[in-house]
Amino acid sequence: MAKAQEGRGAPPPAPAGPSANARKYAWPAKPAVLSTRVKRLDGPDKVTGRAKYSFDINRPGMIYGKIVRSPYPHAKIVSVDLSAAKAAPGVRATLVWKDQPTAQALYQGDPVAAVAADTEEQAEDAARLVKVTYDVLEHVANVEQAMAGDAPKIFDSVVMNTVGNQRKGNVEQNGDIEAGFKAAAHIVEQTYSTHVITHVCMETHGCVCEWDGDKLTAWVTTQGVHGTKDGFAQGLKIPGANVRVITQYMGGGFGSKFGPDAQGLICARLAKEAGRPVKLFLDRKEEHLDTGNRPSAYAKIRAGVSADGKLTAFDATSWGTGGAGATSNFPLPYIYNFPNRRRAHIDVFINAGQQRAMRAPGHPQGCFLTEILMDELADRVRMDPVQFRIQNLPTAAASRKWGDYFAQAAKAFGWEKRHATGDPRPGPIKNGFGCSAHQWGGGGRGGRAHVDITSDGSVVMKVGTQDLGTGTRTLVAMLTAETFGLPVGAVTPEIGDTNYPVCGASGGSTTAASISPAIRIASGIARDQLFAKVAPQLGTTADNLVAENGRINVKGSSKGMAWKEACRLLGAEPISVDGQWEDGLSSTGTSGVQFTEVDVDIETGIVKVKRILTMQDCGLIVSRLTAESQVYGGIVGSLNFALFEDRILDRVTGQMVNPNMESYLLAGLSDIPKIDVMLVDTPEQRDRGVIGIGEPPTVSTASAIANAIRNATGATVRSLPLHPHRILQAIEEQKAGGTL
Amino acid sequence: MKAFEYANPTNEKDAVAALRAGQAVALPLAGGMDLVARMKDYVTTPDRVVNVKNALDKTIVATPDGGLKIGAGVNIVDLADNAQVQKLYPAIVAAAGEVGTPQIRNHGTVGGNINQRPRCWYFRAEDFVCFKKGGNRCFSPAGENQYHAIFGNDGPSHIVHPSSLAVPFTAYGATFRVVGPNGERTVPASEFFTMPTLQNVRKENVLADDEILTHVMLPAPGNVKSGHYEVRYKESHDWPLAFATVVLTMNGSTIRAARVVLGAVAPTPWRSQDAEQALVGKTLNEATAVAAAEAAVKAAKPMSRNGYKVQITKTAVKRAIMQIAGLKPVQLRA
Repeated sequence: MAKAQEGRGAPPPAPAGPSANARKYAWPAKPAVLSTRVKRLDGPDKVTGRAKYSFDINRPGMIYGKIVRSPYPHAKIVSVDLSAAKAAPGVRATLVWKDQPTAQALYQGDPVAAVAADTEEQAEDAARLVKVTYDVLEHVANVEQAMAGDAPKIFDSVVMNTVGNQRKGNVEQNGDIEAGFKAAAHIVEQTYSTHVITHVCMETHGCVCEWDGDKLTAWVTTQGVHGTKDGFAQGLKIPGANVRVITQYMGGGFGSKFGPDAQGLICARLAKEAGRPVKLFLDRKEEHLDTGNRPSAYAKIRAGVSADGKLTAFDATSWGTGGAGATSNFPLPYIYNFPNRRRAHIDVFINAGQQRAMRAPGHPQGCFLTEILMDELADRVRMDPVQFRIQNLPTAAASRKWGDYFAQAAKAFGWEKRHATGDPRPGPIKNGFGCSAHQWGGGGRGGRAHVDITSDGSVVMKVGTQDLGTGTRTLVAMLTAETFGLPVGAVTPEIGDTNYPVCGASGGSTTAASISPAIRIASGIARDQLFAKVAPQLGTTADNLVAENGRINVKGSSKGMAWKEACRLLGAEPISVDGQWEDGLSSTGTSGVQFTEVDVDIETGIVKVKRILTMQDCGLIVSRLTAESQVYGGIVGSLNFALFEDRILDRVTGQMVNPNMESYLLAGLSDIPKIDVMLVDTPEQRDRGVIGIGEPPTVSTASAIANAIRNATGATVRSLPLHPHRILQAIEEQKAGGTL
Repeated sequence: MKAFEYANPTNEKDAVAALRAGQAVALPLAGGMDLVARMKDYVTTPDRVVNVKNALDKTIVATPDGGLKIGAGVNIVDLADNAQVQKLYPAIVAAAGEVGTPQIRNHGTVGGNINQRPRCWYFRAEDFVCFKKGGNRCFSPAGENQYHAIFGNDGPSHIVHPSSLAVPFTAYGATFRVVGPNGERTVPASEFFTMPTLQNVRKENVLADDEILTHVMLPAPGNVKSGHYEVRYKESHDWPLAFATVVLTMNGSTIRAARVVLGAVAPTPWRSQDAEQALVGKTLNEATAVAAAEAAVKAAKPMSRNGYKVQITKTAVKRAIMQIAGLKPVQLRA
């Protein structure tokens, strides 16, 4: 299950052991560059605006595309009349996207047609002149409506294996559930839920498409240049060799940018018809409606604990919606060892945009549902939540170190100052602590790299990966510089272009672990070729040389030559080496824990997160500064998930009421507390090789905040987001004796 | 946005003339914090935009009676920073300092804050053709009303008035100077904002299409103490869930007169006479604050999803009064 959810992040099969190259070019015991704090090479370009994101690309003669979308959550497309749009000023191309006679719009924002015109404003005006005749059909706007007995059966014929608007999954089962409940001294039975949020990429989805004859160049904001190239080739029915995709810089994807999407194919078709480059980027409303989201998750859970605090049984029915036809599954229970368990999941379909992978897909949901339950169970047996978690960790997860991390991070956090559930101090402001644990796969596969060293000493490392904003460009330079003994600035990293060697998409926290071995091996082989040139000059053999401090030196002697001097020996025969990912330099499986402190105003339901501390491993840390940035970003994202973000569909019309940045709430700087990051950097972790850290930090924060609120108020909020109305309601219920 | 004609008058008379557009729709633009966003979202599609910024007074001057005359073109940041406003009307400073973001306060104006259109998400999204956009229904009663009104809920619209400044202006007894084709008139703040009816639901105040608000006239405050308390979901850039301005005229430690005005809870700034009655003649202390807060929400009629706002409103009233009493203010945010 968890593997299926990780999707693009699925770890590779169990390793057969390190390859010969991996052994030969093993990570250095005492790295000069790796694991240090190197500032992003492109930081100055980004803050000065010199960095050109795909959104910033402008081509000679370029015009603008605009998509016409269904305002209705469910409608038959009866006809599309383009005549007025075609006659509008500046219009050079039009198309009908939903061109099947039986075409339906299944959600508000479903693309129907498109136009391209000389200016953005003309395109917008013309799009409004496209006359679509809709036959408006019944819709379901939320899971309650979709699951109701009298619900219209909208997805019966649209999604495979659906009964009404529901698809039942297989029952997952382990142990003896009845025996488990018999062994329980206490049983908690509650319903928990998380809500739908969107990815809210700063740079909206879109691209610039330019044709040269039958060859397409597309500047796309994408997490996978090579995959997007394949997507264009398939979608446009042209050879992959005719497509080039470029993503030099991108403003966030979080799992929602893996292909050309409808807007990419539309852009390419408009450009072909107009005979000009077309820019088509979505506006914020389109972004909220049609570029993915994190599915909701609900579970009715019955769980048992023995008198001595051992989990005994877990029985859950879960459901959730991934929108119009997409799955909503997630791992449950999360991490902790329930020896006897049963769980059945139901996908519920509604008339809303489809979900897409979103940073640690499934895990934040499973984590929240389980971690709130864990605090409720701990209270039943009057145990400290950290101790309770430690004694219920799974035994068969050797690489996961939650027990150690809980102990160390609790100490660093000052967990011993935590009071029992319910802040006993007088006054309306209550303080509380909470904790949570998480895991992720990560790991590498199949990345390729190409390095050129020329006689002037230049080093260019080309990798067909892309930088989501995580700092990949800097990583490429650091890894190369390490092997060549050069300063990071001496390497030119080239990424974000399908003209460079094939790499996988940046999903599942796999980028660093995919490209690092390829770069290490390519540069290791190149370095050995350079050694072979240099060795005779220094009167020694290649295996007796070392690259360090910008020089090629004879091991253990002062004899050697500067890098540039060495490269001059190459003359007209530059070094040019391909490398690829091989087993032994990367690994999979990360673990972490988080702690939070909150103040809650029990007279208003407003929460102030005071501080967050996390302990997180990721194998060998390639770039310490950007690894920490990943953790900060993940935690801020999860704080938003916990407190603020909420895709709200009007229950009557099925249309989104907050498709903007005004009432779709996101934390500002003053809403974000101090965040302490404890990266695990031990010989044991270094030996594992590179793993990846993009996703795990965003799993736990929401659960830890909710548990801290519970610790502060004595009231349990079992649904996200932690809106004041939910907190006040939980406090009222607790006063009435209903919640603990 | 829809293409429009642009007028740039430099005095009140020309501004009023430019707003007289016959069949066409002409709208005034000052800081642009509200109008431009609505135009971009096709919520509002004027044929003519009249930039009134150069026609409006941008000064704050003392009046002979000891009050202040505030130009509608004054930027919100300058209102908050003004020494006389700080001395005489601290609740206005408290409200002004919390409006929007620093960028919005730097560019937005006093007149714009008072006359901005509702933040109701049905009004702000093109897809929902509600009463306020010429449609025939309000979407909130059957829909997502968690941020809608808990007072004055007889309809047909259930918005909350969006202005933070309108509430302390009302509490301090301000009057607004309005200029139109037939000259000028003054309207008390307490009569400027209108409850929705089927006839006037497309407006939130008494301004005619060719009138502009030019000044806020504040009377001398007299022997008053004032408190202002806002409750926001987010600390950064968010509209308050509910807030209150309380102005008390004191006689020693006894409250001689009281003005309690609530914000973000009704289609207009909402004066709570129940709370005022609970204060007059009482000693200023915590028990009085609690009783007045209870009284303030006695007549609340929340909708299906905004009952929590009753508790928040109550808290805002209590804390505004406790502020005046000099009791330790509750401070969630460091």
